[in-house]
Amino acid sequence: MLDELLAPKYLGWLIGGFGVTLLLSALVSVAASVLGLGLCLARVAHSPLWSWPARAWLSVFRNTPLLVQLFFWYFGASALMPENLLIWLNTPHEWDLKLFGVRWPSFEYLAGFFGLTLYTAAFIAEEFRSGVRGVPAGQVAAAQALGFTPLQVWLNVVMPQAFRISLPPLLGQYMNAVKNSSLTMAIGLAELSYASRQVETETFKTFQAFGIATTLYIATIIVIELAGQWLQRRKPAPGASH
Amino acid sequence: MDFSVIANNFGYFMLGAWPNGPLGGAALTLVLSVVSAIASGVLGLVFGIALAMTRGAAHSVLLLGLGFFRAIPVIMLIFWTYFLLPILFGIDVPGTGTVVVALSLIGGSYLAHSVHAGIASLPPGQWQAAAALGLSRGQALRLVILPQALPIMVPSFINQWVALVKDTSLAYVIGVGELSFVATQVSNREMVYPTEIFLFVALVYFIFCSTLELCANRVARRFGTVEG
Repeated sequence: MLDELLAPKYLGWLIGGFGVTLLLSALVSVAASVLGLGLCLARVAHSPLWSWPARAWLSVFRNTPLLVQLFFWYFGASALMPENLLIWLNTPHEWDLKLFGVRWPSFEYLAGFFGLTLYTAAFIAEEFRSGVRGVPAGQVAAAQALGFTPLQVWLNVVMPQAFRISLPPLLGQYMNAVKNSSLTMAIGLAELSYASRQVETETFKTFQAFGIATTLYIATIIVIELAGQWLQRRKPAPGASH
Repeated sequence: MDFSVIANNFGYFMLGAWPNGPLGGAALTLVLSVVSAIASGVLGLVFGIALAMTRGAAHSVLLLGLGFFRAIPVIMLIFWTYFLLPILFGIDVPGTGTVVVALSLIGGSYLAHSVHAGIASLPPGQWQAAAALGLSRGQALRLVILPQALPIMVPSFINQWVALVKDTSLAYVIGVGELSFVATQVSNREMVYPTEIFLFVALVYFIFCSTLELCANRVARRFGTVEG
């Protein structure tokens, strides 16, 4: 039945592209969360030595289009790199990790991952920051009164609550990472949108090509949404239930 | 770094081939942004009010429709409109029109939720008081609810428009000659200055977006919902 829709070869292209989309957005989500947390901490720091560079980063990366950023990393940064580094990045390296071999990603993949991560981190940092601001000041004061060190206040009181508050918008940013990964097609990464365009040009079956790709995107978003609802039910935000 | 490439192509970056050809570059980016901003604002208001006024099945259908546009990447929607619009209307739709339709639908879907949230944030007593004064639901909405709810929504409208300015760059994928497309053209022609070109283009977008963001912060401060 799927044969009537699309030949297996083209279905394979779409599935392959979907795999690239999923892996790329998962890697980006993890890396951008770590980086975003660091950015958020720098942004809320009292010292302007930390907070101003963080402000500048957030402002630049949030107020320029992701597409232009990707072009910059793909075309622009490679022109700035020392030649040796570029050659090293472009040559395949193999690591045999016993269980599975890790293939060295293409330069498109590296540039896409790098660009998407820096962009997404700027948005995630702001979600964390509103989470931090959502923790009542009395919580910090109470922890200090109990003799917690500043680090303990952060790790044991502020962060767990801030994380729960920012969980829903954080998941929204992961959904954006999935959708934004489609922009890497512009630098030639064969992810889902790229694959759907390829299949469409080769087969002229526009409805099938775009339809399948659209369905896969929607399914991914729904899965993240459901995961979020499940997490929310297990760990409701403070104040949501008493 | 050699920024003479920017100076030599400045007119092309700003206006495209105009006045000897179609308008392009930063000017086309602005036109696309303004037209889609207005259209998405109108769509957002209409669907947001519809969300606030409907119950039951109609409400669910509306939520599903808006959810669809929020779940798919902008690029996919541009592909769809590029392919479907000529079929639906039986005429050749230019790339700029395609992009405006796609961006307005996505922007409108996001704004609809902000509008709905703005209306829902007013205490129910406002509706009840309007009803007690003998106003119909439509009159209550127009005379009592919207005048109070609209100012609350202004910051989210402006934030959505910042996203929209950035998304106009995706017109690149169907070859519309806006700023990003023009940048890749110049970059391909000159071959050796991609860093300078994309830095400059990023700066132009940055000016557009941060100007809007400054407006959003000012408006937010004025209406008492301070951000940042």
